[in-house]
Amino acid sequence: MNATVHPLRKYARPHVTRTTTCPGCGNGIATQAILRAIEELDLRMDDFVFVSGIGCSAWIPSPFFAADTLHTTHGRPVAFATGVKLGLPEKHVMVVSGDGDLTAIGGNHLIHAARRNIGLTVVLMNNGIYGMTGGQTAPTTPRGISTVTSPYGSLEHSFDIAPMIVSAGAAYVARWTTHHPRQLTKAIKKGLTKKGFALIEVVTQCPVQFGRASKLGGAVEILKHFKSNSVRIEKARKMDPAELLGKIVVGEFVDIEKPELSSEWTRLIHSMREGRQ
Amino acid sequence: MSKVDVLSQNCKGVDQCGICKYVCPKDLYRDSKEMNSAGYIPPEMTDEASCTACENCMIYCPDMAIVVHKDAQDGPPAGEGSDD
Amino acid sequence: MIKARTALAGTHFDMGNWACAEGAIAAGCNFVAGYPITPASEVANYMAKRLPQVGGIFLQTEDEIAAICSVIGASWAGCRALTVTSGPGISLMQENIGFAVSTETPIVIIDVQRLGPSTGVPSIGMAGDIVQVARGSHGDYQIIALCPESPQEMFDLTIRAFNIAETYRVPVFLMADGFIGHMREQIIIPPADQIDLVERRVPTVADPMKRQDFLDIGVAPMPVFGKGLQAHVTSSCHDEHGMRNLTEPAVMHRYVMNPIQKILTHRDQIVEVREDYVNADLVLVTYGTVSRSARAAARLARNQGLRVGTLRLITCWPFPEEAIRKAASRVNNLLVLENNSGQLYPYIRAEAAHASRVEFLGPQFLGQIHDPNAILEKVKEMLA
Repeated sequence: MNATVHPLRKYARPHVTRTTTCPGCGNGIATQAILRAIEELDLRMDDFVFVSGIGCSAWIPSPFFAADTLHTTHGRPVAFATGVKLGLPEKHVMVVSGDGDLTAIGGNHLIHAARRNIGLTVVLMNNGIYGMTGGQTAPTTPRGISTVTSPYGSLEHSFDIAPMIVSAGAAYVARWTTHHPRQLTKAIKKGLTKKGFALIEVVTQCPVQFGRASKLGGAVEILKHFKSNSVRIEKARKMDPAELLGKIVVGEFVDIEKPELSSEWTRLIHSMREGRQ
Repeated sequence: MSKVDVLSQNCKGVDQCGICKYVCPKDLYRDSKEMNSAGYIPPEMTDEASCTACENCMIYCPDMAIVVHKDAQDGPPAGEGSDD
Repeated sequence: MIKARTALAGTHFDMGNWACAEGAIAAGCNFVAGYPITPASEVANYMAKRLPQVGGIFLQTEDEIAAICSVIGASWAGCRALTVTSGPGISLMQENIGFAVSTETPIVIIDVQRLGPSTGVPSIGMAGDIVQVARGSHGDYQIIALCPESPQEMFDLTIRAFNIAETYRVPVFLMADGFIGHMREQIIIPPADQIDLVERRVPTVADPMKRQDFLDIGVAPMPVFGKGLQAHVTSSCHDEHGMRNLTEPAVMHRYVMNPIQKILTHRDQIVEVREDYVNADLVLVTYGTVSRSARAAARLARNQGLRVGTLRLITCWPFPEEAIRKAASRVNNLLVLENNSGQLYPYIRAEAAHASRVEFLGPQFLGQIHDPNAILEKVKEMLA
């Protein structure tokens, strides 16, 4: 009798047999969404370079994905990926990392990559907290929530990542929660086919740290919270800001065409070569 | 032929995770009796005949521990509208 | 076989920073990232114009951290990559210089040093970063750093830096400073066929679990991206296949020690010094710009009948301890001249003090180059 193998297992390194995430972590939902997007687009893992930073979600591609994988320092995956993409413009360069990595310590690289419109697909796992280091406040932690570094409740306001990256100049920005794996797969597919900087923000559950800090509970309770608080962007645009307090706006925030950096470089080098002849 | 295979060694437990039980529109999962080698209790399918092969459990499982075998006669996925 | 690119072969009169940029072009550099900073900006400015002409890319980054990271990323994408900055930029790059060490990534880092600490004086040279480039990133490691003394050497040693980087899969520093970076002098660029370049070795086995990609003291071929090699690159502690391992002490030991041993076992091939102290009673030990003053002072001394020689460390890291021990065993007096408060002096003393008298002399004022006459005075005092 042949043991059943998960259909997406073919994209994983054979010797990596188990994931390191906690029970109920949303990272695995995003892992499947990424791999399913690759499968549905009929892409090969050799078409990709995956780049990640530091944090739980940085371990989504590393070492699981059977592809060229660059696991980098905290906050810097977008900067590394910029060099990779300019060196290999024909490859899909995907960054997978968390909200702390990409918007706190690495925020500057994220907005500048969006401004440059370099062809990266960034899957940003936003769990609203620092999971790996033990539940500290992130720039995405909702105001008022008590964490180990905000024991009296966070006094700070949080980033609204997707619209921030729209303002920075990205060609494609979408946000979904882990309650929307099918929509998420579609958004990742769109990000991968977009010529330009694509950010897919994944609002995800950290049942261990965020579940405890927010008192929402475990994975299922947080997923239910995502379901009941998600508002489609088309609907949200007609709502008052007061009505949107505590809501998660999901959908496509931007989808535009503009010149992409690595192909602009290819064009420039080509035109200079022609000019010399 | 079975519609659903639970790869129980990959599972991290219905008590701590339990997403499969939550996303099944027919409520067909229950806790199995035995722990896997990592000490987690995987789910088991109670009534495979009632399973619509919507694939929710497979797609949501964070540990790729469930495989749904979709037949041609199975309808479109039922989980599509779960976004509002 | 990679060929040198030297469109500008011939004799030039230009700045050290220009020579450095042309050296990189000759060495086949095709990716430069940097952030504007005095006194290094001319290298980046020139590269922005010159690189696209030879099929390369210049990226002005949002900061020096992004510069070093994108250069490392480009190296893994198969580019010959360089970044250029000054001390404040090096300080920002330090964490990811450790990344390059840990992941065995060949890159070249040009440090046109300036007076510090902190913002200091941007346009004034000083050898202030000599120890920070060797010890500034956390953890334990060895680094390779070369010290040019002239615009000509900024050309020659930039090429050598690329060759060392590719040979040993390491970051290599060129430790220039604001004085020679901005100095104009004769620069001779040889024709392409007279420049030897080292080509990167890339593995052919497709499965990373059947290859050694890392931690080879004899230097593993580099599984560059985009070739279907499924390379796994992480700066976390990893094994020979690049797989993260945070539990086994034996792997941790190899992770730290093998990249160190990779450099130290090749020390003889890497280290370069200039020795000119036969029958000397005193040897002036120098590196970088101050070597020019040392030679002038030695000439003055010999004209006055004093037997003064010179020892110039072209490679300051790995530390040329053998050359220091040799000098100390043959000459009774060592005078260490540095354009700082004495950064290499303790290292030199540790190797020499058992056999020889070792003293230090900085410039009269930091921010000035040593006056050869001031060196001569100190020489006379030591030989009196």
